[in-house]
Amino acid sequence: MTRALTRDEFSREAIGYIDHLYRVAVHLVKETQEAEDLVQETYARAFGSYEQFAAGSNLKAWLTRILYNFFFDNYHQKKRWVSVENSSAENDVSDYWEKVPADNPGPESHILLKELSATISDALSRIPEEFRLPIVLVDMGDFSYLEAAEILSCPVGTIRSRLSRGRKLLYYQLSDYVTTKEKKREKI
Amino acid sequence: MKCEEAQEFITALVDNQVSDEERSLIESHLKDCQRCRFTHGQEQALKREISAAGARLHAPAALRSKILSDRRIFPAPERASESWTERIFPAWPIPRPALGLALAVVLILPILYFMRTPSEPISLAALEIQKKIIGGEVSVQKASHPDELRNWQIRAVNGEFAPVAYDLSSMNVQPVGGVVQEVNGRKMLVTVYAGNGLSVTCFTFIGTEEDAPKIASVFIDPEKKMKFYSFSKDGFNAVLHREGSIICILVSNMSGDELLAMVRAKVQPS
Repeated sequence: MTRALTRDEFSREAIGYIDHLYRVAVHLVKETQEAEDLVQETYARAFGSYEQFAAGSNLKAWLTRILYNFFFDNYHQKKRWVSVENSSAENDVSDYWEKVPADNPGPESHILLKELSATISDALSRIPEEFRLPIVLVDMGDFSYLEAAEILSCPVGTIRSRLSRGRKLLYYQLSDYVTTKEKKREKI
Repeated sequence: MKCEEAQEFITALVDNQVSDEERSLIESHLKDCQRCRFTHGQEQALKREISAAGARLHAPAALRSKILSDRRIFPAPERASESWTERIFPAWPIPRPALGLALAVVLILPILYFMRTPSEPISLAALEIQKKIIGGEVSVQKASHPDELRNWQIRAVNGEFAPVAYDLSSMNVQPVGGVVQEVNGRKMLVTVYAGNGLSVTCFTFIGTEEDAPKIASVFIDPEKKMKFYSFSKDGFNAVLHREGSIICILVSNMSGDELLAMVRAKVQPS
């Protein structure tokens, strides 16, 4: 049986996840100062209830759930998981299908994608939260679908479908960036 | 399987979150569908870029400091001097400061005199070595695998001792290289860890806590029953502790408080 962590051990172990929590926080709130406050408050709350943490379980997921719950309670005005069936985001995904070329696109498409890494955070901020969070948790946080579903309190199938749509929306956002960039190059 | 039905399976395949049956179905579809193969490749590339963009995003140093100094999260460390004072004078009726001063003069000062280190302590030499590693004056052997580096270092000291190893993977910090140095006839195993914008160098050698420099602040961890010596020189922060007859000094570009916190968290009592 795993020994329960002491308060000191817990705090020292938890600080190792500060970069991860900050990454999630900056994609939840708009301002970096708010993100910092969110992370600090997460640690304070985690420390206040560390005895509830089951030793040997996933500390990173537990901290992320605290962060998300605190964000939801204090920064969020909407329902936890809103229906997106009729949202404009749905239409954006449909538009995406018209943009996917049927033929082999050639290697330049991948090269351009590499150039876009600096703009990914910006593009993420422009897609709806319900699509953004699964991407942040799975792609940046390395969580499994099950862990992401537990953090966001939703079914595993929802994570999969929103990741699929979310990545297409993100690609759609980045495609816009590529088009703009190419037009600028043409003008030069 | 139709292309639209395949989309979520493609996503799950990219994330390695498919069952064997699903994998077989989607791979069969990809074999026959060029458009979905392209989508799969594009989604894999996008996932890699998102992951890389995340890895480049670090919490600001100011936030780390703010959290480490937030007493709701990290209560103030117990200073050795305060701890010893309370242990030595639990409830004596004599005024404590006067007695303490007298005892310091009679007992501690002569002890310190005889225990003084005649030359620069090995611990400060470790900081000099760190400076030379960064300046390129000391070459570090790159490690293709941590075990390979460890075995090489053990052989270099004829198996007399092994480098103290730390699992810093939760911070995305890994051993990247090492070197063996000799200071005043004493061999020192040096392991360099790096990643996530952090650099941590571990110096391992046979010694005692007397190898800590006089300038070090001493912290006692009552639960682990261990002493940690924190010191800084020339912009480097270091923490020394003992594991049996082995002394380990960790030197880093992290703040002194942060480094001490990390060492205390990672070290297990010998």
